Amino acid sequence: MGAFLDSMLAGRDGLGGVRAEAAAALLRDGLPGPREEAWKYTSLRALEQRRYAPAPGEATDVPALAAFALPGVDGARLVFVNGVFQPALSDLQAAPGVEILPYREHPGQLDKDLEGHHGTGSADAFLRLNTALVEDGASIRVVAGADAGAPIHLVILGAPAAADLAWQLRLQVELGAGARLSLVEHHLGNDEHAHLGNLVANYVLGAGARLELLQVQDAGERATLIRRGSFHVGEDAQLAATTLEAGAQMTRHDFRVHLAGRGARLESRGVFVLHGRQHADTHMDVRHEARDTSSDVLWRGVADQRSRGVFHGAITIAEGADGADAALSNKNLLLSPQAEIDTQPALEIYADEVKAAHGATVGQLDEQALFYLRTRGIPLDAARRILVSAFCSAVFADLQPAVLRERLDELLATRLPQAGE
Amino acid sequence: MATERIQMESELRDRLRAPATGNEAVEAALSRRYDAGFVTDIESDSLPPGLDEGTVRAISARKHEPEWMTEWRLKAYRHWLTMTPPHWAKLRIGPIDFQAISYYSAPKGPKYKSLDEVPRELIETYDKLGVPLHERAKLAGVAVDAVFDSVSVGTTFQKELAAKGIVFCSMSEAVKSHPELVKKYLGTVVPQGDNYFAALNSAVFSDGSFVFIPKGVRCPMELSTYFRINAGHTGQFERTLIIAEEGASVSYLEGCTAPMRDENQLHAAVVELVALDDASIKYSTVQNWYPGDENGVGGIYNFVTKRGECRGPRSRIVWTQVETGSAITWKYPSCVLRGDDSAGEFHSVALTHHCQQADTGTKMIHIGRNTKSKIVSKGISAGRGQNTYRGLVKIEKGAEGARNHTQCDSLLIGKRCGAHTFPYIEVKNPGAIVEHEATTSKISEDQMFYCRSRGIGEEDAVSMIVDGFCKQVFRELPMEFAVEAKKLLEVSLEGAVG
Amino acid sequence: MLKIDNLHVRVAGREILKGLSLEAKAGEVHAIMGPNGAGKSTLGNVLAGREGYEVTAGTVEFEGQNLLELAPEERAAAGVFLAFQYPVEIPGVNNTYFLRAALNAQRRQRGEAELDSMQFLKKVREKLAVLHLKDELLHRAVNEGFSGGEKKRNEIFQLALLEPKLAILDETDSGLDIDAMKLVADGVNAMRDPARSFLVITHYQRLLDYIVPDVVHVLAEGRIVESGDRTLAHELEAHGYGWVAGRHAPAGAA
Repeated sequence: MGAFLDSMLAGRDGLGGVRAEAAAALLRDGLPGPREEAWKYTSLRALEQRRYAPAPGEATDVPALAAFALPGVDGARLVFVNGVFQPALSDLQAAPGVEILPYREHPGQLDKDLEGHHGTGSADAFLRLNTALVEDGASIRVVAGADAGAPIHLVILGAPAAADLAWQLRLQVELGAGARLSLVEHHLGNDEHAHLGNLVANYVLGAGARLELLQVQDAGERATLIRRGSFHVGEDAQLAATTLEAGAQMTRHDFRVHLAGRGARLESRGVFVLHGRQHADTHMDVRHEARDTSSDVLWRGVADQRSRGVFHGAITIAEGADGADAALSNKNLLLSPQAEIDTQPALEIYADEVKAAHGATVGQLDEQALFYLRTRGIPLDAARRILVSAFCSAVFADLQPAVLRERLDELLATRLPQAGE
Repeated sequence: MATERIQMESELRDRLRAPATGNEAVEAALSRRYDAGFVTDIESDSLPPGLDEGTVRAISARKHEPEWMTEWRLKAYRHWLTMTPPHWAKLRIGPIDFQAISYYSAPKGPKYKSLDEVPRELIETYDKLGVPLHERAKLAGVAVDAVFDSVSVGTTFQKELAAKGIVFCSMSEAVKSHPELVKKYLGTVVPQGDNYFAALNSAVFSDGSFVFIPKGVRCPMELSTYFRINAGHTGQFERTLIIAEEGASVSYLEGCTAPMRDENQLHAAVVELVALDDASIKYSTVQNWYPGDENGVGGIYNFVTKRGECRGPRSRIVWTQVETGSAITWKYPSCVLRGDDSAGEFHSVALTHHCQQADTGTKMIHIGRNTKSKIVSKGISAGRGQNTYRGLVKIEKGAEGARNHTQCDSLLIGKRCGAHTFPYIEVKNPGAIVEHEATTSKISEDQMFYCRSRGIGEEDAVSMIVDGFCKQVFRELPMEFAVEAKKLLEVSLEGAVG
Repeated sequence: MLKIDNLHVRVAGREILKGLSLEAKAGEVHAIMGPNGAGKSTLGNVLAGREGYEVTAGTVEFEGQNLLELAPEERAAAGVFLAFQYPVEIPGVNNTYFLRAALNAQRRQRGEAELDSMQFLKKVREKLAVLHLKDELLHRAVNEGFSGGEKKRNEIFQLALLEPKLAILDETDSGLDIDAMKLVADGVNAMRDPARSFLVITHYQRLLDYIVPDVVHVLAEGRIVESGDRTLAHELEAHGYGWVAGRHAPAGAA
């Protein structure tokens, strides 16, 4: 057993039920190695040697509310600091038909949700770790026909502590038939800690439901963040997701969508912007399992300095999923001789009445556009920033409200190559 | 070993069929003819099934190889023992019993000194396959090396080529006549331990072609090898090595067929290409190994390692393949673009019908500056066929200015087939541009109706549309091959539409 | 030549044609006009034999034979031609090759000798000149990358080359500017012949200024509700389709 699992599981003999099973499986199989296809480009060898203190650990410096407010995101608010729910910073007031249950206050609900999802996921080490140890998180349920209204803000914050912590969070989001929910998953932190966060989120969208999900990942520069979102999209339900990956030292984001009901739809927009020695690995896995389902995935990536961006975008169209329409595009800019981009779009098609296409590119800024800007008097550095910024912000083009979009553009701007670098 | 009897094709065809599509009229045309499915009645001298060091030594001894070659084989064999068979991500395949295969089979009798000594049965075999070897019927402008099971039975135009300093002979011959070239280049592109099947091939390879084009020479004719598996329970492990020196150029064609048998036979070849400065090698394959019957009984396992190295600046390697045969195809003709300004291309049509499976694609490894690669892959799946494109485009740190463009299109015909695309793109140089695009579609009802409303029958409309789909690749083939490829596709697709 | 009697057609479970009758004699040009959704394109498709069009009642005779029994390619060989409203792109298939395959398939079916490439090209050149089409069109793939106008002209070019007995033009004027429409009309008029009939399906009257019909039919609610000479088209232009509906109320409910 490596130092990592040792630090996580030592002394946890009292686990029962699904937790014990998950822990046993984790100890048996360990963390995935480089020969495992899904981890081909992300090595866990360094992580395996690290030790973490188990959460909760006392946070020494918790920022004020204003530090993480986002314009236009003014519905209910759930704040987790180092993996622990903060009632004082949270506001659980929500529209009628919306139920928000923090697990720390409702452990019975957590057990129920853990049981409910047991065995449905694949044997992923971080899912097992989460199942074995998770104590916090929340369930959010919107009853059939209800509109949750203003976006719910889920804040997941890393704060300095006496030691580097590893925390587990679980999220269960369920939308009844025709329900609507707008949710913002917001990760942030400062650079004075190197915590490991491990979030498992399950989403179930009933018939005709619509979920708008915005993921803003702006975690601290030394943090490690593992996320796994599984979406079950029912008949005529819609998932519209927008994702920004900007922070963390190492991040792995699994995004699995099951278009399970006839007419289910996915629209995913995303961008990763990396610098320093950041490593970001995004795995989109879209499965068309019913007739007339559609998916439209558009992701962009920028890797500067010594960073490495990995994008895996798989579309599977199952037998019988006739009328499926799938498109995936992944474009990347490689800005430095020490950076690397690995992209792997994939199509797996078992039905013939389908339209499926993907495209991937890795390249640089358009020389002609750069030249054009310079002939108009814009210095090279600034011209590059303008073009990189335009390249990235295309993914936010449809995001509402405008103030939120502008805020994200600002955040992006701080991550782009600075003049004179 | 007992001689093989000619099996009637109809015997296999008439077995129970499970039509993959519902259209009766079209299914009636399902009597797909595998024209190359006959067996030649000739006595063969085969090694008994089984594989150990003794087998490796026995093969080497029968070929009268020098000691260094025997040692080279044994080293590969010992390495193979330490390896495990590859994990088949997308293929349905049972375990292969390597001890049940005979690793050497050759027509009985002394080696033929010239084509005049080749027995009538063999000459007739190649005649039937459309590859006449006799002096009077030789294909104009194409030199042919005919490989029958484990040995080369003859090579045409050798004298004419020798006059220009070109060596075109069987690998066994080259080991003896040009040991310095073989030693210098063999295993330098595909090392002995490269992968499981390459290691096996290195240990037991039987025959194959050797081509050497000296500095500055443009080969005046197409070179071609025709591979034929005849004996049952044998594997074919050919090894081909093509070297184009500075400024040389050559176009090489390869064709393959095998009788219809209800066993799975293994074909594990290794092909190595070396292009020095300004050299150009064009390697074209029309692969029509026996695909098995409609229920997936029998057929060749085609596990091939093909790799070319553009060693010198401005060198160029072009792979073109039309893969219509084999029960399972697993091959990735690749280019290592080491020389600055070198270029690699891969043009592929892969068709899977009935229960065929193909997992094919290419690797383009960009090492030199301003290296270029182009990939065009057209996959056609019909019946219960599974067709996978798997490719890697890797831009190494030093490959400033590298360019790649990849286009992968899949065409699905019927409800029970599958088409998969798995490209890997790894870029470590910010001056490189890599572009990949892929589409999947079916022959639309609108296209079919349009053709039919103009008077074109259903079968003809399908082959016309499929031919249009493959056009980009066929253009890369030498004329005679393009015609054959088109015909092959038509025959392979019979009964695919419903 | 063509006799349609009480034709009922369902598409995806919905009845589109509800007892359409029509008779066209050799040499006649019939215009079929009607509002959107009246069943105009359904008529063209069902005559050409497209799948998914279920004939629940009625008959279609073409030169005395039951047209509905024939496969699309057999109808083509018998002399039925449909100029598509939306001609299909067939990537990689050369236009010339396609046309020659089509023509020779039809000739084979009719027991006529196939044309060799010299004879065929000669014929093609003649027809191209009539339609003012460029040679370049021949070297491109079927309809691939053609503009809307080029596609429609290519349809008429095929019509000229295949020389059918009955030509059905399905909204050939849609999406064409006036110059392109004139070219198309010129092509059609050049094809008029005592032995050839036309069904010109259109939404607008303006095409009929250039292709002058012998008979104009108004198709509404899946039936021919009124037939007349060319002046009927002008009436429609002046008053709109509502005018016909009004004259035949409560025809829809009857």
